[in-house]
Amino acid sequence: MSNAAENAKLYGYLASFDLVDEFLAAAAKVRDAGYTRWDAHSPFVIHGLDAAMGVKKTVLPYIVFLAGLTGAAAGILLQWWTNAVDYPFLISGKPLFSLPANIPVAFETTILFAAVSALIGMLALNRLPQLYHPLFTNRSFKRVTDDRFFISIEAEDPLFDATKTRELLESISGRSIEEIEVHP
Amino acid sequence: MSATYTNAHSYLDNTGDDPAVRAKLVVGDNDFHSVTEKVCGVVERPQPKIWWVVFAISSSLTLVLLATIAYLITTGIGVWGLMVPVGWGYAIVNFVFWVGIGHAGTLISAILFLLRQRWRTSINRFAEGMTIIAVVCAGIFPGIHVGRVWVAYWMAPIPNQMSMWPNFRSPLLWDVFAVGTYATVSLLFWYMGMIPDLATLRDRAKTKIRFYAYGILSLGWRSSNRHWHRFEFAYLLLAALATPLVLSVHSVVSFDFAVSIMPGWHTTIFPPYFVAGAIFSGFAMVVTLVIPVRKIYGLEEIITARHLENMAKIMLATSMMVGFAYSTEFFVAWYSGNTYEAFTFMNRAFGPYAWAYWTMVTCNVLVPQFFWFKRFRTKTVLLWIASVLINVGMWFERFVIVVSSLSRDYLPTSWGYYRPSIIDILTFLGSFGLFFTLFLLFIRFLPIVGMAEVKGVMPQAHLDRPGHRGHGDYHGDIGGAEVLS
Amino acid sequence: MQGNVLDITTENRHLNGVMRPALIICAVMAVIGFGGALFLANTTEHGIEYLLETYLVSFAFFLAISLGGLFFVLLQHCTRAGWSVVVRRVAEAVAANVWVMAALAVPVVYGIHHLYHWADAGAAAHDPLLAAKAGFLNPSFFIIRLVIYFLVWGVMASFLLRTSVAQDASGDPKLTLRMERLSAPGMILFALTINFAAFDILMSLDPHWFSTIFGVYYFSVSIVAFLAVMPKILYALQMRGVLPNAITVEHYHDFGKLLFGFNVFWAYIAFSQYMLIWYANIPEETEWFLKRQTGEWATVSLILIFGHFVLPFLLLVSRVIKRRPLLLAITGGYVAAMCWVDVYWLVIPEFSPGVARFGLLDVLCFLGMNGVFSAALVLRMRRHSVIAEKDPRLEESLAFENA
Repeated sequence: MSNAAENAKLYGYLASFDLVDEFLAAAAKVRDAGYTRWDAHSPFVIHGLDAAMGVKKTVLPYIVFLAGLTGAAAGILLQWWTNAVDYPFLISGKPLFSLPANIPVAFETTILFAAVSALIGMLALNRLPQLYHPLFTNRSFKRVTDDRFFISIEAEDPLFDATKTRELLESISGRSIEEIEVHP
Repeated sequence: MSATYTNAHSYLDNTGDDPAVRAKLVVGDNDFHSVTEKVCGVVERPQPKIWWVVFAISSSLTLVLLATIAYLITTGIGVWGLMVPVGWGYAIVNFVFWVGIGHAGTLISAILFLLRQRWRTSINRFAEGMTIIAVVCAGIFPGIHVGRVWVAYWMAPIPNQMSMWPNFRSPLLWDVFAVGTYATVSLLFWYMGMIPDLATLRDRAKTKIRFYAYGILSLGWRSSNRHWHRFEFAYLLLAALATPLVLSVHSVVSFDFAVSIMPGWHTTIFPPYFVAGAIFSGFAMVVTLVIPVRKIYGLEEIITARHLENMAKIMLATSMMVGFAYSTEFFVAWYSGNTYEAFTFMNRAFGPYAWAYWTMVTCNVLVPQFFWFKRFRTKTVLLWIASVLINVGMWFERFVIVVSSLSRDYLPTSWGYYRPSIIDILTFLGSFGLFFTLFLLFIRFLPIVGMAEVKGVMPQAHLDRPGHRGHGDYHGDIGGAEVLS
Repeated sequence: MQGNVLDITTENRHLNGVMRPALIICAVMAVIGFGGALFLANTTEHGIEYLLETYLVSFAFFLAISLGGLFFVLLQHCTRAGWSVVVRRVAEAVAANVWVMAALAVPVVYGIHHLYHWADAGAAAHDPLLAAKAGFLNPSFFIIRLVIYFLVWGVMASFLLRTSVAQDASGDPKLTLRMERLSAPGMILFALTINFAAFDILMSLDPHWFSTIFGVYYFSVSIVAFLAVMPKILYALQMRGVLPNAITVEHYHDFGKLLFGFNVFWAYIAFSQYMLIWYANIPEETEWFLKRQTGEWATVSLILIFGHFVLPFLLLVSRVIKRRPLLLAITGGYVAAMCWVDVYWLVIPEFSPGVARFGLLDVLCFLGMNGVFSAALVLRMRRHSVIAEKDPRLEESLAFENA
């Protein structure tokens, strides 16, 4: 036990909040203090929190748009290659390659590619799945998926200072701050 | 809680019409924690007796389904009532019926999301689950209808030793792509929306198995706002993609009929008309399921009277659209001057299948007229009965379309009267068994209400602050002090 | 709600004189447009016939805008929408302009024998199909139906506008409830009338042809045309200092989104109609599209695909244009022009197969009708506030923010 405690490294501090308003104001203060490696955790999406944290807009829409275009091209190419080139056969007097009849499938592949890329892109940009995280070692953090709001500041942050950061968090949360440790 | 309210109904009724007040979407003394408790309770507490009773019945019916399918595969399509000229019978009717039902979920989660209908949050998870299960039931029918199921892979563009490719100019192949894409995207949408709620179940887990199962399923979600930001955006994008997808799926299903030259099938209004019908039947099925579920699991404060009333209104609107399509078809059948077309419609209404036609009109057009009156929209028992009747009517709509046209084709010598065989009927009943079995398992193991979304529309989330009316991100800058004022 | 919601009494809510220059421009447009068109028609061969044809195009186009407005207002009431309250009065005025369209229908009735082949009693004698339809397609019943349509639309639009204006004075929330209750059955009347009006005014130009989706197609034209011109109207008002702060970029953004969505809806309906007829390839149906795929009309069809669907899709898919009122007004104007081309494509091939004879006459006739329509709109809006002042959901609309 003592051995483990010696090896443990500080991951960061965790402050908790009960009310949305307090939480939003606190996030804005941490942002204004200039921290960069910190995060706010809440059980649901809070409108205004992106602004309060200064989160930049995600690139996800561009990924999805490109995936959609790829899907459309793939759908058209697939139908053209299979029905007009590799295995041509005449059916109901339609041209071998006839766009009106190929639009439904091309549309579906567009949506399929785009939708799959939206989920995978979201997870990849979020670095998920990540089944272990130092924050999970904290018992009270379990309430983040229920009704409690948290702000964590990482020890890796260039502005991080063991006492000053603690004081900042204590002043804005009015509660004691918890230390999160990484166990190697 | 009941002590606070003398009249048990007064606080549950949030169907007021005062235009200056937006209805509360969660009633009673609920806070974030009580919502978590109520929703997770469904999964964490032992299931009530009724769950086991229904599960016993539905799983037995599922066995019937498996048995009839086994019999079909080992014997041949002849065990069904198919005949000349009615080569499409129950299997196609059931397929269209189930796919139609599978439209409500994505409609609620995607279209109502884009239209900022916040009330969707209480029912969208539930409806999405139902959607996926209905699509599973739908997928079975064309799968077994191909006869030689072991060559069903011919429908997919897989290089093979015969160097053949599927025919992409056939609407039946479009169906494969449309329904396949729809099933995939609905599943993604459903799963993605569930990740935060699975994390809630993980954090509340009392047993190791639960902890690991929900832990893996929730992918290590830690409610980080940097994650939420992309999550919200992905949700918006999926909604924007799923909206045209929903429309396309039933449109493609309608193409199966409408690209042909069969009277009664070949009519240009089919795509939007099928979509309206699908939404209609999907909402009816949501209502059929949600009324008992909210009662049994005590979710009336979250899935409120307002939700039911809104769904009744949507059913009324889509019923009118379907009725509009019926009458337009009838008028144009006369207006076109095409005698085959005119005959088909007279035959539908007054021919040998008139009983099916009038069942359809009664259930789909007349029954929903009661929803003009608030009394019927807010009485759950009446609403439930009407929703069941609508499902009956929508099944008959597909029956009328498939059978009445085919049984009177261009060649009078081959006219006939289609009767389903006992295997047809048992297969259909069996599909309900599968539907309810999967649905009960969904209730048993997964969160049936999107907790994270419901919490976001509760008053405690302060959505009513100016500048927080929409569901999107806040455009202004937030200063530390400004928010508290 | 809290105190930082805009107080609308500080806004300029009346068109007191600010629209006088615009009215003069409208009058000049009307006189030059219609006068020039008549002059040109009288001096060229078949000029009057050409004028009637292009008049029908512009008539159906401006009627579509009015009906789109009517649908929009009905829809806002049916769904108890909050976001749109600040712009609803303008939409109500656009809808009430359907009365002007009723007056403008007179030349169509006057030209019935040229425009509608079935109106010729002699034609039916040699054509069993026309003879079979004569009970429906005959001049007197056609006129009766037109009167019914315009009465239904006009009464609904006037009711919605008057009730809303009455609320400006009384602030009675019961009036909102009344409009909501009557809008639902109103929607049904609207669906039936626009459907049959589309059959009568446009589909019966080729009395042999039929398509059950045609009414829905014209509906999609109408809602797209309305949503396309709304940003321009709002922008023009704001440029003249009317409602400078009440209408925000958020409301423009929503119009942009709706325009995007309904334009895709138009494409969906157009594709459904085309694909089903193309695939089944039955002569009595295909001839309608064949006409539009032959000669110069093939080019117009391609212009519609790329100009009406692909380009607006790409322009409006991101929020760049939707959140810039001027750009949105320009894009909307462009889409509206495409809607006009669409109606042109529905009408003119019936008279001029193979040749898309677009010319000065079309422009003049369009300008003339634009002048009359816009002047009527301005005159109507001068009579009352341009915002629903005491709507119970006004605050919600003022504070509205978007995704």
